[in-house]
Amino acid sequence: MTGPVIFDPHSLPADDNVNKYTFCVELKSSQWFLQKGKMIAYYGRIEFNGIGHGRLDRLLRTSFHSPLHASDWVVADGSGKMLLADRAFDVNSYDLEDGNLTIRAGNLLAYQPTLALKQSIVPGFLTLIGTGKFVAASNGPVVFMEPPIRVDPQALVGWADCPSPCHHYDHGYMTGVLGGIRSLTGLGGTSGEEHQFEFVGAGTVLLQSTEALMAEQTTGQVPAEPGVPGGGAPAGAGGAAGSVPRLPGQLGDLQRRFGL
Amino acid sequence: MPFREINSKMVEATVAPGQKMFSQRGAMLAYKGEVSFTPNMQGGQGGLMSMIGRRVANEATPLMTVEGSGTVMFGHGGHHIQVINLAGDTLYVEADRLLAFDGTLQQGTMFMGSQGGVMGMVRGQVTGQGLFTTTLKGHGAVAVMAHGGVIELPITPQRPVHVDPQAYVAHHGDVRNKLSTALGWRDMVGRGSGEAFQLELSGNGAVYVQASEEKL
Repeated sequence: MTGPVIFDPHSLPADDNVNKYTFCVELKSSQWFLQKGKMIAYYGRIEFNGIGHGRLDRLLRTSFHSPLHASDWVVADGSGKMLLADRAFDVNSYDLEDGNLTIRAGNLLAYQPTLALKQSIVPGFLTLIGTGKFVAASNGPVVFMEPPIRVDPQALVGWADCPSPCHHYDHGYMTGVLGGIRSLTGLGGTSGEEHQFEFVGAGTVLLQSTEALMAEQTTGQVPAEPGVPGGGAPAGAGGAAGSVPRLPGQLGDLQRRFGL
Repeated sequence: MPFREINSKMVEATVAPGQKMFSQRGAMLAYKGEVSFTPNMQGGQGGLMSMIGRRVANEATPLMTVEGSGTVMFGHGGHHIQVINLAGDTLYVEADRLLAFDGTLQQGTMFMGSQGGVMGMVRGQVTGQGLFTTTLKGHGAVAVMAHGGVIELPITPQRPVHVDPQAYVAHHGDVRNKLSTALGWRDMVGRGSGEAFQLELSGNGAVYVQASEEKL
């Protein structure tokens, strides 16, 4: 049995995991972006400045493109070692080389300013583009899968290099007479698996091993322009979320036909 | 063996045409291929009578049938998953803990009182199993959920195993269990050790214990 490991500024790993739940970032008069409140300790001389601080304007121009959720992010600037963690979730770092990766906004903890952070056109997701390292948290270890795959919306952490997902609906058992009775009476219930995100093409899909979501982070509003998905609408009001969509001609629609 | 452990909280199952599989509703994380998920009104196998039996026994957990061809990833609520392979013997497990199991396994409901009469019923109350528990019998694999990691303790006739009722997950094999009490005057005056009830398992088989005293 080994006792607890004691770290000092020299033995702490540089830009690596200390354990499954903690990540150590080394700053050498460089900068990192991190989500507010994810720093748990640091050695050295590090300044944390909210975005909007005058000196950072140049940096923001190149690597932060989500003006309306700037209040959730800070820039760590200085020299030293900084520990990041998030509610005992598994923390992992990922290297991007001239690539792109889209991740659920709540899962992203920190990133190097050599990467550019942009809002994905999928609401609630952020895209990182460029070369550099970023740190993300997940509930349980992250599993990498290759498309084609269909993923439970809650288990999706993000995706890299592949086209954005589309919705897939599968409730064949809701059609026909028996299915109509089922949806009218609620007898038998639903399987809870009618709706998935479908990925096709080449790339990698990141899954977390449970359906327990991390706290949702707003990705910021997008301008209300024609042709911008989710534009102007408050986050979460994207259509008939929650209600099971209906197939045309299904018996359950009798209610509507009779004007009930 | 249809289950492959991807990590401690996720298993991958292969479904082939003609092979059914049952899983807890909403526990699918992702799948490849053409797989359909149908809610199962009966809550498992058998006909109407088994369904009524399960409803009465309060062992009717919402299950769905998984059919098609492809691979499916299962996981639920961040719980740890233990895959148990059955080779003809019977697994006793609480229905809420079932994540997924082979359609070839025979599902049944057992009355706790049939193992040790009144004491069996008391045991059910203490372990949180209630008066009934679910049995799975046959050849196949079962994925069982637990809070915290799971360890398997073998039971041999010479060495009975004592388990904290709250940490008990499941057992299989030819096992007799009884509730042993170590109640003393200290418990009466509120100075007990907190370990007054223990589950004593003896016989031939194995018991699964979770590293937590939290129920699912």
